[in-house]
Amino acid sequence: MTAVIEARNLSRWYGNILGISEINLDINQGITALLGPNGAGKSTFMKIITGQLKPSLGQVRILGQPVWNNFRLFRRLGFCPEADAFYEDLNGMEFLTGLLRLCGFSREESEARTRWALETVELQAASLRPIRSYSRGMRQRLKIAQAFAHDPDILILDEPLNGLDPLSKRQIIKLIKEFRDAGRTIVVSSHVLPEVEALTSEIILIHHGKILARGDVHFIRELLDTHPHKIRIQSQAFRLLAKLLAVEDYILNITFEPERQAVVFETHHRDHFFNRLNELLLEHGLDIEEITSPDDNLQAVFDYLVGK
Amino acid sequence: MTEVREKGYHHWEGQLQEKKWVFWPITRTGIKLAFERRRFKFLFACSFLPAISYAVGIYISERLEDFKFMARGAERTLQVNPAFFKSYLSLDLIFFMILLLMALGGAGLIADDFRHRAIQLYLARPITRNDYLIGKAGVVVFFVGLLTLLPAIILFVLKLLFSGSFRFFLDYPWLILSIILYSVLLMIFFTCYILLASSLSQNRNYVIAIIFAAYYLSEIARGIFYAIFRSPYSILLSIPGNLQQVAAGFFRVKPATAASWYLSFLAVVIFCLLSYFLIRRKLKAVEVIR
Repeated sequence: MTAVIEARNLSRWYGNILGISEINLDINQGITALLGPNGAGKSTFMKIITGQLKPSLGQVRILGQPVWNNFRLFRRLGFCPEADAFYEDLNGMEFLTGLLRLCGFSREESEARTRWALETVELQAASLRPIRSYSRGMRQRLKIAQAFAHDPDILILDEPLNGLDPLSKRQIIKLIKEFRDAGRTIVVSSHVLPEVEALTSEIILIHHGKILARGDVHFIRELLDTHPHKIRIQSQAFRLLAKLLAVEDYILNITFEPERQAVVFETHHRDHFFNRLNELLLEHGLDIEEITSPDDNLQAVFDYLVGK
Repeated sequence: MTEVREKGYHHWEGQLQEKKWVFWPITRTGIKLAFERRRFKFLFACSFLPAISYAVGIYISERLEDFKFMARGAERTLQVNPAFFKSYLSLDLIFFMILLLMALGGAGLIADDFRHRAIQLYLARPITRNDYLIGKAGVVVFFVGLLTLLPAIILFVLKLLFSGSFRFFLDYPWLILSIILYSVLLMIFFTCYILLASSLSQNRNYVIAIIFAAYYLSEIARGIFYAIFRSPYSILLSIPGNLQQVAAGFFRVKPATAASWYLSFLAVVIFCLLSYFLIRRKLKAVEVIR
């Protein structure tokens, strides 16, 4: 079966600066997340697959058709750029209707779809207000609305959850999943691992313009097990906790943060650690204020992968 | 009764229209945004004053006997002939009004899209860069046409109506074509000029400065060049000078300088082609390095 999006030897330079280099990948129906820190090449890749940038080398095909200069294909594509891209003087309704008209919808259909899209992202109440008065979250929701309002087969969403409050995030994640369930293809870029985890398990890691890893999100988690996990515990009994856990052979290192009444453990075996921690808390009746994993984020995974 | 729809994704099963005028929503938005500026509306209304005064001139020219008391000595000025139409279409005030209107309503055409990074949204739609440019150009064409082509044709019709015969039309059968061609040239020139200026900066105020500075500096350059070399070809440096030379050629009137109007026409055409090339380059360069 042909992939929905196929990239072959895709490279792009900006003068001497490398955007992406020799990317080969197939993206199929469903949600795929592009992960990478800022400057990794995610936006460049997205601009190429939305036909806004011509690759310096290689080719990208969507639904079997080349993307560059194939403007009819864009009717089947919805793009939500990372940066704000609005006519600030227009209101939400006018902005969306205008963009839908460019897709070939009649005036009536454009207006109906605009109302539906604005209602879906809960912007109907602000639809007649100028965009310049919108908050960051409202702007983000409007950008997402314009991406799906014309009912595309493929959605390309560049950092779609940026600036959204938790409720809006949940709502947009639900919508993206509905889109997936309707048989569409969605490519989402993000540098926030929990957001991606809430959306999909299929991820592509990009760094310095190259694909570092690709696969299920749990595979990326596995990568963490080859490096010690950091677990930070904040508790008034942090010294006692350190003493009780120091005897365990899977504890590699213990660092104290006395000014915050916290201790950081390093271990290869997170599951063993948490099982033992539960036992100790019950046995000694200890209270814990906070447990965090300082290196359980994408940046840490990247650091490990690139050997920092 | 309003249809109750469940919130969330719904697949659309209608038919998309294959539109020929895909650029029209861009033009429409540009015109609408221009009219939303209060000062623009006032200036737009004022910009028709020259046309109204020319219409009054035509009326008086047909009733010279009635207006003898006030038209004494102005009979030559009130003669309605090709030079009359040339004078309207190459009037400094008309050019100035076009610049003023477009500074208010056209400076942001591309500059605002650069500033708001809206071009990527346009180009992610089923439109080409040329469609985008045509859409933007449509805004300038609309306003320049309203100030040039439309009034000039109305003046021509008024002349026929006030004179009560087709004599004028038969005397100058080519004049209507000259009016149309020269107006179209003005539309194309000012479209290229405004869009080029608008693509040079993301800041609307800078664009306004560029629009006026380039226009009037070209005239100053012509004056300096002429003072030094005393050459009639110094007119080629001036934007209004070239437009007036071309107008003289189109309306079969003696040009202001000895330089051929063909050269001015060539200069205008080269400027338009160069502008198109530069604007396309600027649009291609809309790439974010991240």
